[in-house]
Amino acid sequence: MKLLPSLLFAALTCLVPLLHGDEAEAERLTAVIAGAVEAIYGEDCVDHPSEDKQARVRAVIEEEYDLNVIIRRAIGRKWRLMKPEEQVQVLELVKQLVVKTYVRGMDGKGRPLVEVGKVVTVSEKRIEIPSVVTLEDQTIHVLYRLGKMKTGWQIYDIVAEDISVVSNYRQQIDDHFRKGTGAELIDKLEELLAKDTLDEDTKI
Amino acid sequence: MKTLRFNTGLLLAGFGLLASGVALQAEDDYLSDEDLFEEEIGETAEVSDPLEPINRYIFEFNDFVYSNLVQPLADGYQAVTPDVVEESASNFFDNLKYPVRLAGNLLQGKLEGAWVETGRFVINTGYTLGFHPVADEFEMFHPVPSEDIGQALGSWGIGEGPYLVLPLLGPSNLRDFGGYIGDRAVNPLEEPFSLIDDWDWEVQAALTVTEFTVRSPSLMDRYEQLKGSSIDPYGALKNGYTQFRRAAIEE
Repeated sequence: MKLLPSLLFAALTCLVPLLHGDEAEAERLTAVIAGAVEAIYGEDCVDHPSEDKQARVRAVIEEEYDLNVIIRRAIGRKWRLMKPEEQVQVLELVKQLVVKTYVRGMDGKGRPLVEVGKVVTVSEKRIEIPSVVTLEDQTIHVLYRLGKMKTGWQIYDIVAEDISVVSNYRQQIDDHFRKGTGAELIDKLEELLAKDTLDEDTKI
Repeated sequence: MKTLRFNTGLLLAGFGLLASGVALQAEDDYLSDEDLFEEEIGETAEVSDPLEPINRYIFEFNDFVYSNLVQPLADGYQAVTPDVVEESASNFFDNLKYPVRLAGNLLQGKLEGAWVETGRFVINTGYTLGFHPVADEFEMFHPVPSEDIGQALGSWGIGEGPYLVLPLLGPSNLRDFGGYIGDRAVNPLEEPFSLIDDWDWEVQAALTVTEFTVRSPSLMDRYEQLKGSSIDPYGALKNGYTQFRRAAIEE
């Protein structure tokens, strides 16, 4: 006789995350953004070298989201033109490049204020979360696009001031593969990261 | 008791079926790799770029000028100017662009936008000569999206034409270049169509250089961000500019 209530309870418990999934995603995103900002501007981080901040920011993001998703989407069908080892390398190098640019872009500026808006349901498998970033005298509207994957809700695009990051990278990748190869893409990314380091050293 | 056992068994079987149904349906509940990674992206619409070799050459020239002349200028300006002065100067020049925004609104039949822009110009100029956006404090005059003649031409259905990189000015396209000439025509402070006949060229030049200096930190900041994160800065700027303008026209 006790089986029925137990099963009903179990069934209802399963439904709870479905009912509150959207709100939970906004909260999850808010926590990740706050964590990333803290990794740059927190009292115990602010004087750390840029590399430390990049590592912390990346750890905060990767604890919740799979960065491979957004990068794979940016690469699109050109993914198949690369060898498996090249694919792994490209994923890693693009991650480094994006995190580095993000941290360096914020470094030395005032702490940004980020307001995360309400979730907009696009379909059962896609949602969008708008946000407004106030950085010094600039106000930037950033839209996060999330897709429901087997690994949970994952960010698959970020649209800043009407410019889709994925679309922007896909254009560059498509242009590259019109004439170039996966190996050349890796060379280019490594060169870019090395040049970036050189610039930093020069500034110091 | 028998009945109870039967019912419990039936219930379990029912849950089993439900669970397997849920499992089957679950596959459809998620985006597959193909859905997400191989999907065509609307924003990546083709950009006509028949002049790419010339554009790339001008892009390299601009990049050299930005990195070696504009960036030091921006750094120097930021170093000697308090933030509040920087912001006020930027507001001042934004306020002077009122005729362009008004024309952009009117040409698209956006009367409310034209009204708001006019109200903002009158209030900001009247109270602070445009140095501070006091109109923000009036709910009916909160900022509206900025309009220009290029956007108006786009809203009339005129196509972008080929992508262009203009010397010093940067990314554009044939339609927006036409719009830019129109913007200058309706702006009484800018040549070659200045309405102020007796204005010395030195004053004009000083105004242009000052405006450029004031805007340089923000422009360089965005440019360097984009360049730093790009595999191909030329392609990144082309795509970014096109997405931004298309969205502005859609609004």
